[in-house]
Amino acid sequence: MIEVLEIILRLALWLLVAPLLPGLINKVKAWVAGRRGPPVLQLYYDLARLWKKSVVMSTLASPAFIAGPAVAWVALLGAALLLPLGPLGGAVSFKGDVLLVVYLLAVARFCTTWAAMETGSAFEGMGAAREVSYAVLSEAALITAILSLSVQSGSVTLNDMLAPSSGAGAVLLAGGLFAVLLAENCRVPFDDPNTHLELTMIHEVMVLDHSGPPLAVVLHGAAMKLLLFSVLLSEAVLPLAQWSTWQASTALAGAVTAVTIGVGLVESLLARFAFSRVPLLLTTAFLLCLFALLLAWKGGAA
Amino acid sequence: MTPGPLVLLAALGLVAGILFGPRMPRFWLALTLVATLSGLAAALLVLGGGPEWEWRSAFAVGGEPLHLRLDGLSGLFIVLLSVVGSAGAIYAREYWSDQDHPHSAPRGRLWWSAMILSMIFVLLSSNGLHFLIGWELFAVSSYFLITLDRAQREVRMAGWLYLAASHAGTLCLFGFFVTLAARTGSWELGPMRSQANLAPLIWLALAGFAVKAGLFPVHIWLPSAHANAPSHVSALMSGVAIKMGIYGLVRFTGWLPVPAATGGVIIALGAVSALLGIAFALAQNDLKRLLAYCSVENVGIIAIGIGGALLGAAQGDAPWGRLLLAGSLLHVWNHGLFKALLFFGAGSVLHATGTREMSRLGGLWRSMPWTAAMFALGSAAISGLPPLNGFVSEWLVYLGLLDAALGRSTAAWAAIPAVIIVAVAGALALATFIKAGAVIFLGAPRTKAATQAHESGPLMRGAMLAIGAGCVAIGLAPIIVWPAIARAVGTWDPDWLALEPPVPLTTLGAAQVCLAVLFIGGVVWLWRRAHANGLRRGLTWDCGYSTPTARMQYTGGSFAGLAGGWFAWILQPQRTLRRPRGLFPIRAALVERVPETVLEHVIEPAAAVVMRLSRAARQLQHGRLHFYIVYLAGGLTVLAIIVWLGGIS
Repeated sequence: MIEVLEIILRLALWLLVAPLLPGLINKVKAWVAGRRGPPVLQLYYDLARLWKKSVVMSTLASPAFIAGPAVAWVALLGAALLLPLGPLGGAVSFKGDVLLVVYLLAVARFCTTWAAMETGSAFEGMGAAREVSYAVLSEAALITAILSLSVQSGSVTLNDMLAPSSGAGAVLLAGGLFAVLLAENCRVPFDDPNTHLELTMIHEVMVLDHSGPPLAVVLHGAAMKLLLFSVLLSEAVLPLAQWSTWQASTALAGAVTAVTIGVGLVESLLARFAFSRVPLLLTTAFLLCLFALLLAWKGGAA
Repeated sequence: MTPGPLVLLAALGLVAGILFGPRMPRFWLALTLVATLSGLAAALLVLGGGPEWEWRSAFAVGGEPLHLRLDGLSGLFIVLLSVVGSAGAIYAREYWSDQDHPHSAPRGRLWWSAMILSMIFVLLSSNGLHFLIGWELFAVSSYFLITLDRAQREVRMAGWLYLAASHAGTLCLFGFFVTLAARTGSWELGPMRSQANLAPLIWLALAGFAVKAGLFPVHIWLPSAHANAPSHVSALMSGVAIKMGIYGLVRFTGWLPVPAATGGVIIALGAVSALLGIAFALAQNDLKRLLAYCSVENVGIIAIGIGGALLGAAQGDAPWGRLLLAGSLLHVWNHGLFKALLFFGAGSVLHATGTREMSRLGGLWRSMPWTAAMFALGSAAISGLPPLNGFVSEWLVYLGLLDAALGRSTAAWAAIPAVIIVAVAGALALATFIKAGAVIFLGAPRTKAATQAHESGPLMRGAMLAIGAGCVAIGLAPIIVWPAIARAVGTWDPDWLALEPPVPLTTLGAAQVCLAVLFIGGVVWLWRRAHANGLRRGLTWDCGYSTPTARMQYTGGSFAGLAGGWFAWILQPQRTLRRPRGLFPIRAALVERVPETVLEHVIEPAAAVVMRLSRAARQLQHGRLHFYIVYLAGGLTVLAIIVWLGGIS
């Protein structure tokens, strides 16, 4: 009974907190620009409105156009449930669960790009091509970060990997994972989530044709993915295991907020990079993670 | 029940298939199904925990008595062979029917039976001489299957290349078995790890088997052979035949002692194959070539597992070695299944539209919904996505590599790069299969052929559904197949038999089932919500442009352009661009082609040198008698001088 209750609470936490993050980012951006900006809860209003709207589907699209966002959303939620929440741990924890998380993110990517290609639109084709190509580099960085964490902690279970701090390499890992977070969530400097109709977009252009409840699911899924990466980054860096439950929970919440504000600041202060420079930035992220791995290796050997 | 009678039944069925197949298609199908099912049953008896089966004949073939042995390892490969062999036979009845191919269909049946028979013989034979004979029969029968459609020049070229490459490999194996027999004094094969003087022989075996397995850079025969063979043959070749090279590697690294460097070399070969194989796959525009290169990638992943197992064995039987071998052997099954499924799908597309060029297709899901769904399933499985089977075996391989890295031994230096390369290859595989699936099945039809496509009939669909069900089943219940894999691992090294999986495979299976249920639930929920709110169709939103045409869609070439560009150093793409000129340009064109880099830039120049030397040597032989007399006189003089100087010591 307790387990069921715990799962429900955990679900509620992920589902309800996630849309807060984009609102927070927008607020930060507005504050830096000296505007008032939309309310922090704007995404909740949008989701509620979209959920009630009717759907327009491309004449070319198959039923997978609606199935894709649904599967992607469930996959992201599954990955979120596997991720430990500080002292609470993950909903399910087993050896190698970290790989399931990485591959669930891949499932989400597969379904989003598949649904984008359904429409036959050249714009969505461009977005999908960029999404899967940049994912190659960010996956290399992510798996290296995971290697570094597991070498540091001597385990391949998320609960054990994320409990201690990542030691001397924490700064490097934080830098690498932050870049991966920005790339995977299509934020500046990789992508600009504010515009929809340009040739240069990645995520937003892939969801151009979605409307109504499927679009709500896409937007909510994107918010969950952002939260997921922020939690992963915070837990990788903070030594949560050393603190009491309340301290750890507060630290985690604070760190996630800090990461979100950081994303907002980056978005306010940086311009989007030219596409030719994106691989360079992602390779830098990979190298940061690689150096973190080497530090973890040396640290353990000493 | 012992496997003996079942093996006999399978052999009799296949021999009868060879005899009666050309004339009686229905009877042949029945015979093939009986034979493959009894082969399957025999293998499952052993894999399910029964005793190994061994048989020696009283008579001799080629001077040696037949010695057959069915153990865990051969059983594992026979299961895959039986499943793909029977599904392919069913598929071929419709795909390569007698109406459409009156001349080649009967031949196809004959060689299909012959190929399965020879592969079973190779898998069972425990005698070096018979192994070689079986290997050669297997190579020749697959040559005839590849060239079924031999009226086309391209097919003949592909067959010729296959035959040449295959024999180059067989030459190494010939050296291997002959030296082995010379050193042990007998053609008999079996465990002989204690004889340390046999260790260097493994390099010959590696060279020979790597050609068959299609490891980079000796994969040169594979893309053209798989692309030009009829699709059911491609499925058997890619699903099972290249795994015979893997079988040889696993078999002889298990039986013979190996030098310390072998594990590292095989991991390196596997890593290069995985990365470059998928890079080449991404750049292809021919659907079947794409699938063929993707086989190079998957064989690379399997090789990483085998190399890791050898490293584990060398480092005091480390537990991660078993995990890697288990993952690698499970990937043999998985890749066999989803690659057969994808080739069947490709065959249906080819059957319906008459082209393998992806840029001529598009929007086929409307006319071929079953094929599209099955191809999507295969794409997800081969990209290693949960909850399907590809994820399970890749998960085992990853866990083995991660454990090796955590062990902080020297093996970590191989394991860490391997983990990163497998992850990168996985992401590239996803890009490749989004490209393939989307360009063929989604969007609008690009040509008339694609508009007029039709769904394939019940036999082809049935074969695809059966194989697809296998992919789902292994994904959802990996614990069921574990005992079979464990048994095969136990055959490789008896100390490694672990009937309980060393990793939480049951938990993973449960998680996969939960995921599958949730995926379906999520889809149903969103689908109903969308329909309850009202759903109407409209033109694709192309940023306000209201008359889009099919030619304005993103093509496969443009989809792969970005990631393919990172591999331009090895892909060496050739492009001819004709820019639009003037105010009223008449025509513009861009043709891009990815060559077979290794074949065209390495093998062919080398072959050209050999040809030039041989041609120069041929100048000596011109048929003029008086010159021949001069040669004779010259030769005799040289001999006389040698004798006079006291001979060569």
